[in-house]
Amino acid sequence: MSTVQRTIRFTLNGEAVAADVPTHWNVVELLQNRFGLFGARESCGQGLCGCCTVLVNGNAVSGCLYLAAFVHGAEVTTIEHGAAGRELDAVQQAFIEAGAFQCGFCTPGFVLMTRQLLDEKPDPTEDDIRHYLSGNLCRCAAYPEIVAAVKLAAQKRRAGQGR
Amino acid sequence: MTPFELLEPRTLREAAALLASGDATVRPFAGGTAVMLMMKMGVLRPTRLVSLRAVEKQYSGIGAGADGALRIGAMATLSALERSPVIRNEAPVIARTLRTLSNVRVRNVATVGGHLAHADPHMDLPPVLIALGASVTTVDAAGGRTIPLEKLYSGYLETSLGRGELIAEVSVPRQAPRRAAYLKCTTRSADDWPALGVAVVLDTLRETEGAAVREARIVISAATDTPTRLAKAEAVLRGARVDDAVLQRAGDAAASEASVIGDAHGSAAYKRELLRVYLARAVRAALAGEG
Repeated sequence: MSTVQRTIRFTLNGEAVAADVPTHWNVVELLQNRFGLFGARESCGQGLCGCCTVLVNGNAVSGCLYLAAFVHGAEVTTIEHGAAGRELDAVQQAFIEAGAFQCGFCTPGFVLMTRQLLDEKPDPTEDDIRHYLSGNLCRCAAYPEIVAAVKLAAQKRRAGQGR
Repeated sequence: MTPFELLEPRTLREAAALLASGDATVRPFAGGTAVMLMMKMGVLRPTRLVSLRAVEKQYSGIGAGADGALRIGAMATLSALERSPVIRNEAPVIARTLRTLSNVRVRNVATVGGHLAHADPHMDLPPVLIALGASVTTVDAAGGRTIPLEKLYSGYLETSLGRGELIAEVSVPRQAPRRAAYLKCTTRSADDWPALGVAVVLDTLRETEGAAVREARIVISAATDTPTRLAKAEAVLRGARVDDAVLQRAGDAAASEASVIGDAHGSAAYKRELLRVYLARAVRAALAGEG
């Protein structure tokens, strides 16, 4: 194997996987080109917009700024995790009920970041929400509905509705 | 991005040795959030990246030394710093600064050493750490040295670090009993790159002693090529009881002594005016303990 290509082994959405990747690929390229997962998508390409959000070992990262080679040995979670045949979770349900998107391009990132926020702070203030999600951009500008959705998701979680 | 060879040495010394060749296309890579952007823009086309992710765990630690100084490993992430109880207790101005530094995902990956070595004058921690009196310890083939952070920056994106010299640790004198604040002015959104950053650290007499400023350290960023201490503005505050007239004099001194440059976030004239306003706000925030 050349020095600019390597084999990585990691856990993808709970499943052990391996892939051959060029060392200059980022995680979005890895997910799209090797696994056909398009939930994380590159939009701004600068870590500002959050459309490429994935979790690496439980921490949210910008997939477009994270080298694929570095997920070797790690646990990677994407928006597709548990999607097949499962009910929507409290955050997804809240985004639908609050109408927190139009085109939906940014929604996977917002959903993943909202889960992270609610894991850290089950009852966030509006200020907490706006700070935590300041790195996620919605070009349809559904921001008021998104903030409402996060509050609704927090209520649902506290009431034990949904995951 | 163009292909490159990726190396992951197990020790910082080994990493330094790999970088010592003088070949400018061999670059260090810590969290990589800045390097990735530069590679994507094509301004950096490395042939070889030396990742620091696998170096000894000691370089990710955060703790207080026997002398009360904070010791922060260069590979500690900005999130680890933000969440550290030691930092919250001993240097709350650092924890407050991190809240609006870029975003959660970047803070989860970017490292303290990378943040300092990148030397983009728009970054938030250099002015804060310089105002607190921080220094960095480096590792290179000859051993290493300690540099006051104030002396690290030599120009826009330039440091006094040699080839094959890496920041290993940051040492920060504890904040208390000094009062500190960092304010930044962003002209587009709250988490945008700043047009101006102002860090203020004040050593004050107690209220019963007149609450005068005994010592002041003022450092600005984003409006100058490198983070810059403002000695004349500091001199205005030293020994003074802070009121509107003193703040006006300090603001005038700051605006006349700083080599302010304009950029996409504001013209030089606009930033000079911002400096007058934000210096006063930062001093008041420090005195109120709310920076």
